[in-house]
Amino acid sequence: MLELRKDIFADERDDNLKEVGKGTQRQDMLGHVTGTSTYFDDHKLQGMLHLKVLRSAHAHARLRRIDTTEAERSPGVRRIIRGSDVPRNLNTLLSLINFGKDDEPTLAVDKVRYKGEPIVAVVADSPREAYEAIAKLRVDYEPLPTVFDVEEALKPGAPVVNETYPKNTFTYHDIYDHQKLRFGDVDRALAEADHVLDQRYQMAPIEHAPTETNGSIAAPDTNGRYVVYTSTQALFFSLDTCAKILDVPSNTFHFIGGTVGGGFGGKVDTLTEPLSILGAMLTGRPVRYVFGREEEMQYGPPRGAERIYIQDGVMRDGRIVARKVRAYFDSGAYTRLSSYAVVKCAAHLPGPYAIPNVYGDIYCVFTNRTPATAMRGFGVTAMDFAIECQMDKLAHIVGMDPMEFRILNAYRDGDMKAHRREAKNTALIECVQVAAEKAKWPLREEFKRMSSLEGGGGIRAAIPLTPREPSTPRAAASQQRTSYDRAPAASSHEPPAPPPAPPPPPRPPAPSHGATRFSSVFGNRRR
Amino acid sequence: MTVTVKTFATSGEAAAALSSDRSARYLGGGTLVMRALNEGDISVSTVVRATDQALARIEVTNLRVTIGAGVTFARILAERDLGFLHAPARSIGGPAVRNMGTVGGNLFAPSPFGDFTVALLALDATIAMQGGLGTRDLPIEEFLQSRDRQNGALVLAISCQRPASADAFRYRKVARIKPKGGSVITLAAHLPVSSGRISGARIALGSMAATQIRARAAERALEGRSLDSSAISAAAAAIAEGTSPTDSALASAWYRREVAGVHLRRLLSGQE
Repeated sequence: MLELRKDIFADERDDNLKEVGKGTQRQDMLGHVTGTSTYFDDHKLQGMLHLKVLRSAHAHARLRRIDTTEAERSPGVRRIIRGSDVPRNLNTLLSLINFGKDDEPTLAVDKVRYKGEPIVAVVADSPREAYEAIAKLRVDYEPLPTVFDVEEALKPGAPVVNETYPKNTFTYHDIYDHQKLRFGDVDRALAEADHVLDQRYQMAPIEHAPTETNGSIAAPDTNGRYVVYTSTQALFFSLDTCAKILDVPSNTFHFIGGTVGGGFGGKVDTLTEPLSILGAMLTGRPVRYVFGREEEMQYGPPRGAERIYIQDGVMRDGRIVARKVRAYFDSGAYTRLSSYAVVKCAAHLPGPYAIPNVYGDIYCVFTNRTPATAMRGFGVTAMDFAIECQMDKLAHIVGMDPMEFRILNAYRDGDMKAHRREAKNTALIECVQVAAEKAKWPLREEFKRMSSLEGGGGIRAAIPLTPREPSTPRAAASQQRTSYDRAPAASSHEPPAPPPAPPPPPRPPAPSHGATRFSSVFGNRRR
Repeated sequence: MTVTVKTFATSGEAAAALSSDRSARYLGGGTLVMRALNEGDISVSTVVRATDQALARIEVTNLRVTIGAGVTFARILAERDLGFLHAPARSIGGPAVRNMGTVGGNLFAPSPFGDFTVALLALDATIAMQGGLGTRDLPIEEFLQSRDRQNGALVLAISCQRPASADAFRYRKVARIKPKGGSVITLAAHLPVSSGRISGARIALGSMAATQIRARAAERALEGRSLDSSAISAAAAAIAEGTSPTDSALASAWYRREVAGVHLRRLLSGQE
């Protein structure tokens, strides 16, 4: 049960609000617990056809020839759909907010870029007949060199995964190959720190594993419209994505969703709706396209794997003075949402701590793996795992209690965060105190008395002097270099640094009197 | 082609239907066949079922037990006389799978499944089968070696001896997700003791080869000895001999070989 500690944050919330802070019954709970909720797949429409896709057997291959003749003659087959049948066979999800370039086809045309990429769709009277027709499709592949490792993908001469992004990195603001965060002088602070801790963290992709797999049913409606029952967790986002791919106005569609059998971020990508609607358009019949369990596990998008290098500088008294992060987000073969995860990550650094010198280089990298997507706090969760591992190791190095170490370094209200926003409602100190209290973990009096409401701001609210050019590393002084485990220091094999990004081109004078606003996604914008 | 379901009153008719149709598959509890059909396995066109009550029979005597192929793991767990098989039965799936999954079907479950069969292999079970030409009894090892060719025959029952004491039969399934993950390694050991010495040791392993296999080198290391620490060490050192595990998402072949001895040691020395 969520508990707002009014004893600590007396003024935080008005207790007389009608809904906020009051327990309330979820509107769909009765249906769920009585088994009467209707999901998209509970619609059995008259004359409904079934769509299945042929998926790539290779992680990276040119498609020399696709032969559908035998499959077309297979019993029960109503329609074979090829890439050329898709009105706009190139899309990127966030194009709806003008972020990123169209890079992913609905059905692969000349090349496949990950194992399991859809190539041909078969619409048939029954799922069985669709499967039998798929077994009769012939694809002539020419396998291409593959790359599965994020750092390998950045090396010169690495196979180009996605021609839209020939450097295998997402492009930010039309020119940058990564997101950069600079706050203070990290190299100087690392040189002056008593201990420096270098670590490498590698995450695995994580599957959302929803009980209900991704799927949708599309049916022709009156007035040339289509009704779409869908598992999507982003109804209007999916609707607009379909309107773009199928090149029709968005009012062509009536999407019905809302009851999702487990989403967690894995049902944002609109993987089934464009094809089930296209199938309905081409056959004039309702069409159902649902992932099997293996499709969901193997080719449904996971949380992306991330490789993270962290170099922290800490003083003997426990203060962290520098945090330098290099991270590579594995987007798989296409962008989906990893580009945005990188932006979130850069804004999150250095975690909920007040560290005067922070440095971050975060890359969104393309590899021949299954495209990654959103999942619960993506861009932040894995980085937090790495950061909290660092916190435990640093506490150990300086001989401090890990809880007290976190309280000491926690950010407080009024502190300047590295992305130049003032921290508000920080409350980490109180969280650690309450966690320690509940776990009966002893804290010293002075740490029990600390508060996120006091001691922040002032000098901690200032943006430190930040060198524009990368400063040359200084010779180690009296610093003790601490190797925490057997892993070699990450700095010894830092990949060739990309050339420093040129400054953004000067903006033309504003045509109107709108104010300029900075958006982490779009950069400077006038409104 | 649509899938046809044929239901017969006797196992004989079902066996005849199986042996006459290469695309026929017998459906016991459906935990394997329905999954295959749902995932688009087009090699199955006919599903054969039998309502024969003989397939669901359990017979227990002082020395032997006979279990019908259609007996579910939930029923084994409800049978007090089959206490020695409770650990393997409980290690399979979750309640829903145990409620449907059958002893006969488990004989065909591919790695990393088929844990119950590991126990049956250690217990030197006999498989009663009905083919096109009549019924026959097959030792379990012979059955497993020819398993891929047994689709045309129907398993009627399995039978095995009852271990002389609770200590004589031990079972352990190593999984990454408890309680219902797929097997990293499954171990079963039948170690009858006569006048203080092990006589007729049988150790069976799951997920260590294409089918469940016996660890003959480890058996030899125990034969004629008492179950002391030196015998256990010798068996643990020999456990991976003759195995051919493969890499899977659950564990690599290397890992399986490396830890097999550790788990055998724990099994034999009674450690958790």
